[in-house]
Amino acid sequence: MRIKEHPILEFERGKKIQFTFNGNVIEAYEGETIAAALHAAGIWHYNNSDVLKRPRGLFCAIGHCSSCLMTVDGVPNTRICVTDAVDGMVVKSENRGDAK
Amino acid sequence: MILEYDAAIIGGGPAGICAAIAAGKNGLKTLLIEERDFLGGQLIKQTHRFFGSEEEHAGTRGIHIADDLKAELVGLSNIDVMTSTTALGYYEDGILTALHDEKMVKIKPKSMVLATGAFERFLPFENNDLPGIFGAGAVQTLMNIYGIKPADKVLMIGSGNIGLIVSYQLIQAGVQVIGVVEAASKIGGYLVHASKLRRLGVPIMTRHTIKKAIGTDKVQGALLCQLDENWQEIEGSQKQVACDAICLAVGLTPLADILSQMGCETTFIGELGGIVPKRTADLETTKPGVFVAGDLAGIEEASAAMLEGELAGLNAVKFVTGDERVNERIHHLKGELHGLRAGPVGEKIRYGLAQLFEDSVITSEKIDSHEHDITQLAHTGIPAWENIDEKMPDEQRMIKPYAVIECFQEIPCNPCVFSCPFDAIYIPKEDINLSPVVNFDKCTGCLSCISGCPGLAIFVEQRNPEQGKGTVSIPFEMLNRPQKGDVVDLLARDGHKLGTGIVTRILYGQKQDKTAVITVETDIELVNKVRNIQLQGTDKKGVM
Repeated sequence: MRIKEHPILEFERGKKIQFTFNGNVIEAYEGETIAAALHAAGIWHYNNSDVLKRPRGLFCAIGHCSSCLMTVDGVPNTRICVTDAVDGMVVKSENRGDAK
Repeated sequence: MILEYDAAIIGGGPAGICAAIAAGKNGLKTLLIEERDFLGGQLIKQTHRFFGSEEEHAGTRGIHIADDLKAELVGLSNIDVMTSTTALGYYEDGILTALHDEKMVKIKPKSMVLATGAFERFLPFENNDLPGIFGAGAVQTLMNIYGIKPADKVLMIGSGNIGLIVSYQLIQAGVQVIGVVEAASKIGGYLVHASKLRRLGVPIMTRHTIKKAIGTDKVQGALLCQLDENWQEIEGSQKQVACDAICLAVGLTPLADILSQMGCETTFIGELGGIVPKRTADLETTKPGVFVAGDLAGIEEASAAMLEGELAGLNAVKFVTGDERVNERIHHLKGELHGLRAGPVGEKIRYGLAQLFEDSVITSEKIDSHEHDITQLAHTGIPAWENIDEKMPDEQRMIKPYAVIECFQEIPCNPCVFSCPFDAIYIPKEDINLSPVVNFDKCTGCLSCISGCPGLAIFVEQRNPEQGKGTVSIPFEMLNRPQKGDVVDLLARDGHKLGTGIVTRILYGQKQDKTAVITVETDIELVNKVRNIQLQGTDKKGVM
């Protein structure tokens, strides 16, 4: 959910764009990271862990914890918390354990 | 092609920007490298006003400090800024490599300042990998940069400054904070931040910890327990709470990867956040000409990071040019840093630094708070009545308006002194760590000091014994701001409802910068008890 009113901050949002996450269309604003747009859409479950298949989501949001890695436009292990959403982007969960 | 520079700064947060400005101003051809596509680091998430010395941006919101620093940077033509650029490594031939636009860039700097910052620590407990468990910084990023509500009901783990400040910011963003959990017996952060939360009704549970996150695909709650003096679980103290997110604010660790790769020696100092570079009082690492600043040099407040950034930048100038003219400023900056660290809250950092280098101003000596007995405040976030009484004027003086500064902990901060147009606020001995005092002969109750206090700890009262009425003016920076004439709920220091009052005056101009000053009229006996107000019917408290 996006914050509409804030006592201190004003949010200038960019142009409305769309990308897909596992085939579903997600709305975003230019300048937002993929993770921010997913969170705004209520998506918290990103991947499953390699071995135990436990759900994984956002943790650090500064590109250091590796919890949010996804395949973006075919590029694997993209840190979606520091990668801006781009119109028409294709974002997919990485469930690397599946390949084993 | 190899890009040649006098100084390369890695990291565009407060320390890195200040280092770049210092280097650039003194004539160095400087390159500032930042991984993200924007400068400012963590400053751009900080909506609160900064503590510290008025001279060093205190009293200004972090977001505005970031803007000011960036403006200064842009004005210096000998500084090149490369954003969206990740520094990769530094090699024996003196070449620094960086990734920019999917291409490797080679840089040959004569000196370097590393200001890579820190990342958040994790906490071991059952189910701690569930989606909905966020670092406090992540929550700040979502709500303060992107304007996205991080969750509906948050449990905060950790009562350091980050835990307390982010809890307050969550409430500003419309999120309910059900409580703050702290394993130690005392609140870790500045107690004025704790008091801000308490009067919003948020409980702070010291000597408690989280045992388990509840939920299968995402967080649905948490299992808490109480701890004894030996940090062991007290049997039968388990308690389950409902929340949709758990926010971890359990400390930071320096981001020292590139430092290690470069071959700068590091050492483990818990008080400074973990593995930190060995460095001198002038911030020089074991590699000559390579300096560190900010959280990488040891976890501390952003005000210290900015001072260290400038100090590192000036030392880079001295290293490259041999120019001794920067010495005076270097000496001044060291004095400022010493001032910030001199009080009781600087004990940990002093102890950490004393393990790194010997310096006449750094001691690990324990300095006890000697002004006030703040035991109750440190355990609960609510000052004891005897603390408050010390800040009050004589009864006869109370018929005219007077400021009550509920600032009892010795923290390095002084914007209130400069906010008073009548010179009525002073800090004893001009020691920035001592708590401010009001000269009631000079105070006119003009309300100027209320908005500028970073701890929102100043209130103005007035009593009219003949009518049995009085007024109290409080700082207010939440949504649902009342209007003049509204009947509002009056809340005590612990957030409980005392009664109702009428809003008689609102200051909300440029000077207040979004921290409104709201004056309410109420019964005389409530005047010294009211510390928060809310529009009727907007109750949203902690529930533990």
